[in-house]
Amino acid sequence: MNLLRTTVALSAIFAAGAAFAQDATGITVWADANRQPAVEAFIAAHPEVPVNLVVDDGSSGASGTFQTKISLADQAGEGWPDVVFSTQNNDAAWATKETNGVQAFAQVLNEGFLGEEFLKGFTPGALDPVTVDGKVYGLRNDLAPVLFWYNKTLLDGFGYAAPTTWEEYQALGDKLAADHKGYFLGGIGDAFEGPYIYYWSGQAPIFQLEGDAFKSNTTDANSVKVSNLIDHMVANKSLTLDSVFGASFVATAANLVAIPGPAWYAGALFQNPGGVNAKAGDWVAAPPLHWKDGEKVTGNVGGGVWYASSHSANPEAIKTFLQFIVSDPKVAGTGGLPAYQAAADAWLDGQVASGFYAGDFKAAINTAASSVWNGWGYPNFSPETAWAKIITPGLVAGKTMKDLSADWQQEMKNEAQVVGYTVE
Amino acid sequence: MTPGRWLGRAFAILILIVFVLFFIVPLVWLVLAPTKTDRQLLLEMPFAFGSFETLAANWTTLVTFQKGLIWTWIGNSAFYCLAALAITLIISIPAGYAMALTEFRGRRALLAATLIVMLVPSTALVLPIFLELSAVKLIGNPLAAILPFSFFPFGVYLTYIYFSTAISRDLLDAARVDGANEFQVFTKIAMPLATPVIALVGFFNFTGNWNNYFLPYVTLPGRKSPVQVGLAELLSNVPAFNPTNAASTTISLSSLALGTLLAIAPVLIVFLFAQRYLVSGMTAGGIKG
Amino acid sequence: MTTLDQSTARSTTSGRKAKGQRHSIERAQGRMGTAFVSLYTLFLLAFGVLPALYAIYLAFTKKGAFVGIDNFLKVFKDYRFWPAVEHVGIFLVVWLIMLVILVVLLSLLVHSIGIRWLSTGTRFLFYIPGALAGASSVMLWLFVLDPTVSPVGFLLRAFGSTSLVDAVQVDRLPFVLAVIAFWTGAGGWIVVMYGALNNIPKDVIEAARVDGARPIRIAWSIQIPLMRKWIAYMVIMSFAGGTQLFVEPRVLSQASRGVVGQDYSLNQLAFLYAFKQSDFNGSAAISLMLLAVALGLSVYFVFKGGLFERV
Repeated sequence: MNLLRTTVALSAIFAAGAAFAQDATGITVWADANRQPAVEAFIAAHPEVPVNLVVDDGSSGASGTFQTKISLADQAGEGWPDVVFSTQNNDAAWATKETNGVQAFAQVLNEGFLGEEFLKGFTPGALDPVTVDGKVYGLRNDLAPVLFWYNKTLLDGFGYAAPTTWEEYQALGDKLAADHKGYFLGGIGDAFEGPYIYYWSGQAPIFQLEGDAFKSNTTDANSVKVSNLIDHMVANKSLTLDSVFGASFVATAANLVAIPGPAWYAGALFQNPGGVNAKAGDWVAAPPLHWKDGEKVTGNVGGGVWYASSHSANPEAIKTFLQFIVSDPKVAGTGGLPAYQAAADAWLDGQVASGFYAGDFKAAINTAASSVWNGWGYPNFSPETAWAKIITPGLVAGKTMKDLSADWQQEMKNEAQVVGYTVE
Repeated sequence: MTPGRWLGRAFAILILIVFVLFFIVPLVWLVLAPTKTDRQLLLEMPFAFGSFETLAANWTTLVTFQKGLIWTWIGNSAFYCLAALAITLIISIPAGYAMALTEFRGRRALLAATLIVMLVPSTALVLPIFLELSAVKLIGNPLAAILPFSFFPFGVYLTYIYFSTAISRDLLDAARVDGANEFQVFTKIAMPLATPVIALVGFFNFTGNWNNYFLPYVTLPGRKSPVQVGLAELLSNVPAFNPTNAASTTISLSSLALGTLLAIAPVLIVFLFAQRYLVSGMTAGGIKG
Repeated sequence: MTTLDQSTARSTTSGRKAKGQRHSIERAQGRMGTAFVSLYTLFLLAFGVLPALYAIYLAFTKKGAFVGIDNFLKVFKDYRFWPAVEHVGIFLVVWLIMLVILVVLLSLLVHSIGIRWLSTGTRFLFYIPGALAGASSVMLWLFVLDPTVSPVGFLLRAFGSTSLVDAVQVDRLPFVLAVIAFWTGAGGWIVVMYGALNNIPKDVIEAARVDGARPIRIAWSIQIPLMRKWIAYMVIMSFAGGTQLFVEPRVLSQASRGVVGQDYSLNQLAFLYAFKQSDFNGSAAISLMLLAVALGLSVYFVFKGGLFERV
């Protein structure tokens, strides 16, 4: 009996402890380390809203952290965060659905939660990936169209013109390989560069959704074109297999001549002391590269999304937080192009005024932002997992895209099937 | 000795040295890593000592990470493991005693069940236990770790073996003839002799639970995680392994090494102190945890 | 507990008076034994039997309705299932071979060390990595496997690995995982085997030596046959444990940017079913298969392997 009593007493203590742990007034925010300065700026600006920031990986590389942790909280019946940041664009595919009797995690943000006036302030189309049947489930942190970044000082020094097409980009790689060993034009060591920068920009039908049907075709002429480009440039080492944030890429960053990449490279790569750490005036943000025979379109790399919890006890604090984080002229966009129009204008003006980037920064960004190819899909899985599983180790082992693309396509189709899409 | 024997012996010694190095080198490296900066880790001799200043700096990074989250994790681990340890001892010692030295209906069946469940790896039951706890709405409650941690059939088996070999039934019968009742027989005769087995059961239970990852990972999400789960969480903030987090406020490799060291420190200390018990106990029981 | 004590006491006293002592003591013992094991039995039911039964229930139902083996068929058709079986299978083969050969060899060698403190010390050094299990051991091995920081970077480069991604490639992974598992677990088994070697009567070995048998011959024809039962035990336990692979590939997946898949092992797949696809029935089906393997091995060993003989 004593034992039983002890156990009962113990559990009473635990239950009490759990109750005290709940914070009634504040909000819990899950975000990656890149978002931390912005969250801290919010804390400084709104001391009346206590924020408990939990830093995670932002689900980068399609790690599934967000979904897994929410499933766990669903099971626990508690422990949901109030706000979540995800680097992925496709979380709406699951976060808007009820699972095993637990309400959908994502809070509907229009229809009265946030003011229509405020929501209208987003760049047109910015909220499309997170809008399902007219309901807005998340707020885009930034827009991430792919543009072409090049180091003017280096190119001028070599006496080369900046490429404007993918063909010229490849030719530049040949010249560097022949005459300037060690200089290079980018990396594809992460899972996002291949699909989002190279294939998306090339209008390759790698990752498409039509209703419930998932389609992927790596043998399409556009896909093959991109595969050949990658194989050619990996072979002559003008593309490295390092992660653009990895130690070896950073160590050789002085030899980076040019790189196609999203708008957020501005802050996360070039103006980051732990990244390329560029010198002011060296780098130019140019309009995106395009294929000679193709349309002038480009790709898109994420542009993270902020979600609010439908379980929150503190919706007012969430509203304050979300409005600040996406629209504050100083922190919105967290180093990239803010999705909120007014903040985007402020950010662009600031970049132009600082003169950090040479060339017409504003025009390049605007061109890129308005030319993202709309043939890419947002199903409930990401092309990144298949890339990481098949392509990354394959290229490291010396295989080519030509060897690997059939397996890659199969892997994506398999993934699609598992999460319930029909596949031809 | 013949030259052949010398050669054989030299070869044997060589193998032993190679394996001692294999087992120890990673640990030595781990102890030294927190004294270095990331740059030193990349460039300098792996077994050089950095400096105490760097160690202090790495310590500060680690303990200030999300306002001392590491202490919350370690505190959680300590709470779950110690509570489970207490409950384990309270239920296993009498149970092992009863199975070894008393007769009751269903004894053999219980013993067989104990042996079988003991040999099933604990991971095999994690998802079923998770599903069960989730059905009774216990996920997220500390009991979701403490109760499964307290179910330790191996401890019952060890106690059973110990009491069957260390105490004779005659001794107990003698006490009974002297007028002791059954409960007194247990408390006065058996318990004073049980110290070694209590230590052994406690050791295996504590170290096993401290290092358990899978169960608490699914049953205690978020801030209630124990340190093993926290450690994996820490990993996602290390740019070297998760490069997209290239921001300034991250964990360096050396801080991660320090975190790993801190997470295993309690078990390592227990190991060092329990060394004597272990070698004899494992030999007697002949079973690993 | 109080009422029970009183009744026990009462029955003992009255029993002595009635001279039917033997019988009464047995009854008291029975009650006492039952009381002592009751709490444990409760835990055994709650965390041993019940979860298994619940998993069986879930595995054969969908939304509460009986669906036969549909959940299993679905899992079998999942493109990730058979590769996961293969991954775990290859890992097991590599690991078990390594474990048997090296553990036997090392325990024989340690046992042959004549100097007592040296033998104890060596055993302890082998055993100490056991303090790092689960996430912390993988964390340490991440450092060891990343050629840029590794203390044995030269070895990795000798095998042609210049990056972590390369070091943990799918075809190398079974070896990597086996090395990690061996590093943490082998020491414990060496201690166990050492104990088994100690139990071999000294005069048996001495007699063989007098007959002129060399150490290798003694090991092969006397010591190893006498260790057979322990080796079998080690293999069965390790096999059962190895099928459960989870934390190692999971942490490696996190650290290698997904090059090690999130669906590498069977338990990871069961995890994905539960937490990514919210399909507890499929998850239970996989868990049940793993549990059946472990349970089968365990029952076999308890009843055929002689562990139950001692009872």
